[in-house]
Amino acid sequence: MKTQYFNDVDENLVTTTLPNGLRLQVVPRQAYHKSYAIMTTDYGAIDTRFAPDGKKMVTYPAGIAHFLEHKLFEKEDHDAFDLFGETGASANAFTSATKTSFLFSATTQLTKNLQILLDFVQEPFFSESSVAKEQGIIGSEIQMYQDDPGWRVYAGLLENLFPNHPAHVDVAGTADSIAQITPEMLYTIHRIFYQPSNMTLVIVGNIDAAEIIDFVADNQAKKHFPAPQPIVRGVEADLQTADIIPYRELKMPVSRPKTLVGFKGQVAIPQTTRGWRYQLTIRLLLEVLFGDSSQLYQNWYDQGLIDDSFDFDFTNQRSFSYGLVGGDTDDPQALSAAIKRVLLHATAQSDLTSERVELIKRASLGKYYAGLNGLNGVANQLSALRFGQAQLFEFPEVLNSIGFDDVKQLISQIFQSDALTVLTMLPEGQS
Amino acid sequence: MQKEIKPGVWLIVLPTTQFKTTRINVQFLTPLRRATITKRTLLTSLLETNSKQYPTQAAMAAHLEALYGANFSIGVAREGRLHRIGVTMSTVDDRFTDQPLLPQAVAFLRSVLFAPNFHNDQFDQVTFDREKENLDHYLASLDDDRQTQAALGVQRLYFGVDPDQAIPSFGTREDLAPLTAVDLTDYYHQLMSQDQVMITVLGDVQEQQVEALFADWPLAARSRTMPAIAFDLPPHPEVLTQTKMVVAQQAKFDLAYHVTTDLMGPEYTAALVAEELFGGSSLSLLFTNVREKASLAYYASSMLDAFRGLMLVQTGIEGKAHDQVADLIQQQLAAVVNGEFSDKLLQSIKDGILDHQRAAYDSPRFLTNQALYQLLVPDAPQDFESFARRIQKVDRQAVQKAAAGMQLQATYFLTGEDSE
Repeated sequence: MKTQYFNDVDENLVTTTLPNGLRLQVVPRQAYHKSYAIMTTDYGAIDTRFAPDGKKMVTYPAGIAHFLEHKLFEKEDHDAFDLFGETGASANAFTSATKTSFLFSATTQLTKNLQILLDFVQEPFFSESSVAKEQGIIGSEIQMYQDDPGWRVYAGLLENLFPNHPAHVDVAGTADSIAQITPEMLYTIHRIFYQPSNMTLVIVGNIDAAEIIDFVADNQAKKHFPAPQPIVRGVEADLQTADIIPYRELKMPVSRPKTLVGFKGQVAIPQTTRGWRYQLTIRLLLEVLFGDSSQLYQNWYDQGLIDDSFDFDFTNQRSFSYGLVGGDTDDPQALSAAIKRVLLHATAQSDLTSERVELIKRASLGKYYAGLNGLNGVANQLSALRFGQAQLFEFPEVLNSIGFDDVKQLISQIFQSDALTVLTMLPEGQS
Repeated sequence: MQKEIKPGVWLIVLPTTQFKTTRINVQFLTPLRRATITKRTLLTSLLETNSKQYPTQAAMAAHLEALYGANFSIGVAREGRLHRIGVTMSTVDDRFTDQPLLPQAVAFLRSVLFAPNFHNDQFDQVTFDREKENLDHYLASLDDDRQTQAALGVQRLYFGVDPDQAIPSFGTREDLAPLTAVDLTDYYHQLMSQDQVMITVLGDVQEQQVEALFADWPLAARSRTMPAIAFDLPPHPEVLTQTKMVVAQQAKFDLAYHVTTDLMGPEYTAALVAEELFGGSSLSLLFTNVREKASLAYYASSMLDAFRGLMLVQTGIEGKAHDQVADLIQQQLAAVVNGEFSDKLLQSIKDGILDHQRAAYDSPRFLTNQALYQLLVPDAPQDFESFARRIQKVDRQAVQKAAAGMQLQATYFLTGEDSE
């Protein structure tokens, strides 16, 4: 067990790895009323291809990670959801491209809820009939997202950037793909990807770290797990630009057009402090260029080209990364062309100054501190970062190490015309 | 500390070291009227965009960045029969910065609220035109989100006879269209001189220091009477229904019920427990039976708006399942009325309410809102323990009685044209 105090942020982080490989991170917050625990496996929607026996690759249906997330709550004679509810706790779960997380928050009976969490995640029960029932529930979830224009634009952008990589596949899958899921497949995935050594548990709140770690260690020591087996993944990094679809239009009954410009990451970003610093640098660059304190934003806003739906972001996941810039506009052609011009001539932008970089670093630091107020955010971020590396509480130090030259040097690496794509959504009946 | 610093202007200071930020919240309160709702919303856009001292958005945004990315926002909300504009500024605590931010934050708020971007004594025409257009775009885009469209639709139906309650708390395109910069300027002066004002500061602060910072704010004395909050529309025997065909894969079916309540008294607590048991919690009958057991809906949940005597049920369903879902919802409410639930479930529901309430004490936003409710509702619980006592006192009979008083008044069905 290791305890670290981070003076810059006034936070303690306690970490340990249990004999079965489960990694624990605990952040005590004595002044808080609530505790929040999140258990995460390094397995998500893109991981449909893998070798269960370590040798022969198989491909499972799209949406199976999310399906398993739903199904894990249900047991032979009860639902884990109800067990949390009986204590007054709130439980939830979510699946992203590369992770699946299960969580609860509670203000009382923390150890009881922790036991429910560990038990339901680690003791699967899947049957033909429960799998069939779930297909109906997830079917309507997929439908619901199809009606959300913002989501459709975002999904469409990923389809443009990653046509041959599972990053473009809906986390929930399709009605057809989830119909192919069987209990055996779910058990196989659980055996490979839910082994303790592929999981982390983060607990933040009004707790005694040593007591909590002892409790989890006892719980794990009582359980039997098969010997750890190597995880052989069949999803390769997608860094090439040859197959990017440069432009597509979608139509829906929306009140105004929307457009997004995307750029595809062409270098693998390691899950280390260096990789984290690289991502922060890209985000700083985007903020310097497109943020609401830029002259560019002011001009576009004044011209009516953008409104406050205008946004930008950069995401790095295992095996792929991408950035996006865009929003609602009356003239999607003009906006996407203008965004592309800025990206491809970023070094010539008058907003790109060392003063602005320093100003935006200062703002990022403040927003980071404000973000530490919420326990959920702290725990979610800790579980998203790789264990033992690039710890959340080193943010001020990492941010301070980024200079104007670092920001400038990125431009030619990431903004290249063949890495760009545009996705536009038009109101139905308009061309 | 709670102090009336001028007639009709309250300052509440909540010192705490729990958070890494200091939150300043200024509320402007007035009786809810259709004639002013849209004006107030447009006014918040104007004040949030620029000011005399920061005449461009870029200048305002850069100043906030220099204050360590201070969060600044203005929003509107409805609380029963009153309308509020909430101005929030949140800054990082001094222990993480190289300069104290609270005095600068208060000075910034003062400059944006009291020295707007006026030219010739009225709002800058260019800013006005642009923000009016942006608000119009926003209001037009509400129907892009079917869930919002259905929720607003059922409320429009339910509150049909009362124009103040029937429209959204942020206004309508119809009311926006005729507004001019002169109208907004006049209304700005009226609001600044007549609205009740409540300022809350929460964080690692000293009461005297905070009081000194607000001492010279140019807020004149005004009426000390807080607008009444509770609204009640007498129930009618018939159920109003409306169906709207749209292009959508999933249908939305929303229902509005009349609820008898007494602000934050015993009828309210009983209604809250009954509502959570019926559809508010993930253990509720609605969630368990409509979503989990019958597999009919992706979501099905209820919420209580106690200040308006309203319970809203929102569902996302397959269009062809409408009748079946309607029956199932009715059956779940009947089950609560008939006492068809275990004591264990009732206790879990109460424990869940209390868990949420206790957890809310970790939120600066909740804590400032609590202070507001304590000023508006004399009977509001003063702390967690008094709230918990009231909830624990609610028994089976009280829950059944509260549920029996919930009367279906309106249903709104938004469905795809090609749903079979």
